[in-house]
Amino acid sequence: MTKIDQFESVFKSADKAVYTYDRPTFERVLLVTDLNDADAADIASRVRSFLTVVDDAGTQWNTLSGDDFSSVRSLLEDIEERKPDLIVTYRHLHSEAWRWPHSLGEYLDVMTQATSVPVLVLPHPDADRGLPHSIKDTDRVMAITNHLTGDNRLVNMAVRFTEPGGTCWLTHVESETVFERYMDAISKIPAIDTDVARESLAAQLLKEPRDFIAACRAEIDAQGLPVDIEEVVVMGRRVDEYGDLVAKREIDLLVLHTKDDDQLAMHGAAYVLAVELRGIPLLML
Amino acid sequence: MNHVSTSVTALFAVLLVAMILSLALEEKIHAKKSVIVGWFAATALFLAAAFGLVRPETVMILGHPVTLPVYIPGIDWEVIAIILGSSLFVDVTSKCGLFTWIAIKLTKASRGDPLKLLVYYGVMTVVFSAVLNNVTAMIIVGALSGVSLAKLRRTNQLLGFLLIEALLTNVGGLLTLISSVPNIIIGNAAGITFVTFFIKSGPYVVVATAVTIYMGARLFGIEALKDDAAKAEAQSLVAGFDENDGIESAGFFRFGTIMTGLFIIAMASASITPYIKELGMGFVALTFAVIMLTRYKATADRFYQAIDWDLLAFFGCLFIVVNMMEHALVLELIGEGLKPIIGLGETVGAGVLLVASAVASSVTDNIPLAAMLAKILGGLGLASDSPFWWAVIFGANLGGNITPIGSASTLVAVTIIHKYKLPLSFAGFVKVAFPFAVMQLVLAAGYVLVVL
Repeated sequence: MTKIDQFESVFKSADKAVYTYDRPTFERVLLVTDLNDADAADIASRVRSFLTVVDDAGTQWNTLSGDDFSSVRSLLEDIEERKPDLIVTYRHLHSEAWRWPHSLGEYLDVMTQATSVPVLVLPHPDADRGLPHSIKDTDRVMAITNHLTGDNRLVNMAVRFTEPGGTCWLTHVESETVFERYMDAISKIPAIDTDVARESLAAQLLKEPRDFIAACRAEIDAQGLPVDIEEVVVMGRRVDEYGDLVAKREIDLLVLHTKDDDQLAMHGAAYVLAVELRGIPLLML
Repeated sequence: MNHVSTSVTALFAVLLVAMILSLALEEKIHAKKSVIVGWFAATALFLAAAFGLVRPETVMILGHPVTLPVYIPGIDWEVIAIILGSSLFVDVTSKCGLFTWIAIKLTKASRGDPLKLLVYYGVMTVVFSAVLNNVTAMIIVGALSGVSLAKLRRTNQLLGFLLIEALLTNVGGLLTLISSVPNIIIGNAAGITFVTFFIKSGPYVVVATAVTIYMGARLFGIEALKDDAAKAEAQSLVAGFDENDGIESAGFFRFGTIMTGLFIIAMASASITPYIKELGMGFVALTFAVIMLTRYKATADRFYQAIDWDLLAFFGCLFIVVNMMEHALVLELIGEGLKPIIGLGETVGAGVLLVASAVASSVTDNIPLAAMLAKILGGLGLASDSPFWWAVIFGANLGGNITPIGSASTLVAVTIIHKYKLPLSFAGFVKVAFPFAVMQLVLAAGYVLVVL
């Protein structure tokens, strides 16, 4: 049985996630603000210049200003009616809570979970927390996750938002905390060699995203897309690690998943990131 | 030789029957083969000494008189050396990724088409069984079948694939002199060379493989994909397999590939190569194992731990038991019993011997059978091209396909089948395998009687 399992492991390891590039299109972009019409128009202009990379000839840009909605329900109805491909907004709509950076605000919270539309979250216009390079261009985009392998949608979005000639970092941060918890359990099982398990498990956990990134790079090269793919695959303590990665590379746009199939709320790490990384735009899928 | 009374011969015959029954009930007894046969070897040695059948002999080795315990010359060390060397060589060589590389290449070449996959896996099973051994071939191809059919979402066909592969391991085991242990034992006793063996068995293996795959595809409804959408989907599913994933280093991969080729050539030419012919195939196998182990010189002990010591100890003890049976004239008694069969002539007699060997192999280990018949037929002074040798070779190998306990590789297949929680009982196996076994045996009988 041991040898059967060994060869099964070899073949399972050889079975790799395939990446295919499907260019996301944005025919309708909806900017959601809580500002008056004039200020909303000003923001809309900045956003359009920031997102030139997705601004195709036929793209329709619409704006909801503060008077257009007064409740989460009415906002969701508006979104349902307009059927946007991309929503652009910021935290704490119709709220003063942006002064206390401990949440997202009810509108954004519901929007990210109740719709299937990607939501691009900008730094709050009043909070003055945007980093110097923020909302200027998208030549430094980072897709970040704790499970990159096979995540074509995340990669496609990140690549799509990267300006020609820009760099797209595909980032996989394996949770060191979870890893150590399992290793602690393994260290108490006499039948498993702890050192071998630590080395093999860490290597395998990091190998899979590396293989997938290599597949992404090959496909993007084959498609002739003018985007450099960079790899960041590390074992870390997620939020700290993410913050460091973003800051060191002066990232213009961070792309991440927020939905969890098993729960109604935004998944843990995404929520923490969305709350804490307020200096740059986030594209929340 | 001392006079042996009939009662002593009968006692040893009972001992032999008890050993064969114990081996047949190995799974029920929950004991390893080596332990079962070890008990019988110890008992047989003790009884042989007690009845004065054996005594230590002094032999001259390189001019020096050496007194050997009776159980040392009783063991066929050439067979042990071939098995030990080949196992080590295959185990180390498999680390270079060659066999998994071939397996994945073929999977991708099939483009996920079930019928092509069955043909490729079938041929691969036969070739791997011939080059490696039945058990390793079944493990590699069976493990790959499980993974690839799950990927193709065709686990409903896994049972068919595994059964056909299991039935083909014993066909592939006929291809070369070193493909199975009965081949080694009989080939050695008969003086059949590697090349002669391959030339004589090759045509049968090709035909039996083709017919087995054809029958299997029909029986299990494994068909080629017809519409373009299904073909495209299947191709995209297998495209994710990376044949290079299991290759530790390109250099070692090339080295392993070259060494595998050289190993086959060296084994094939061992009987005619100057100096090597005096040392035998065991020397070739052990030397190639040592060369491959150089890659892992600091951790070679890992491979020694992985050696199937149960199998080697089983062979050692078995040779001792057979040797004691020879001293107790049990083999002479069986030989007398076989004389009427042999007296039927090379046509009918060989046919009957083939079927009898197959039936015996289907319920118990084919190695004791091969070891005993090798001794008995050797004692009759048959020529190396006698069809009786081939009758035993074909019967001992193919008999393993009649029941799930008939050979180690069918047992491995059943283990994989149960691992995937597929329903298959002992009777269910026999019901499915029986038509295949009959077809293979009929083909073999015709081939041995008409062609060989």
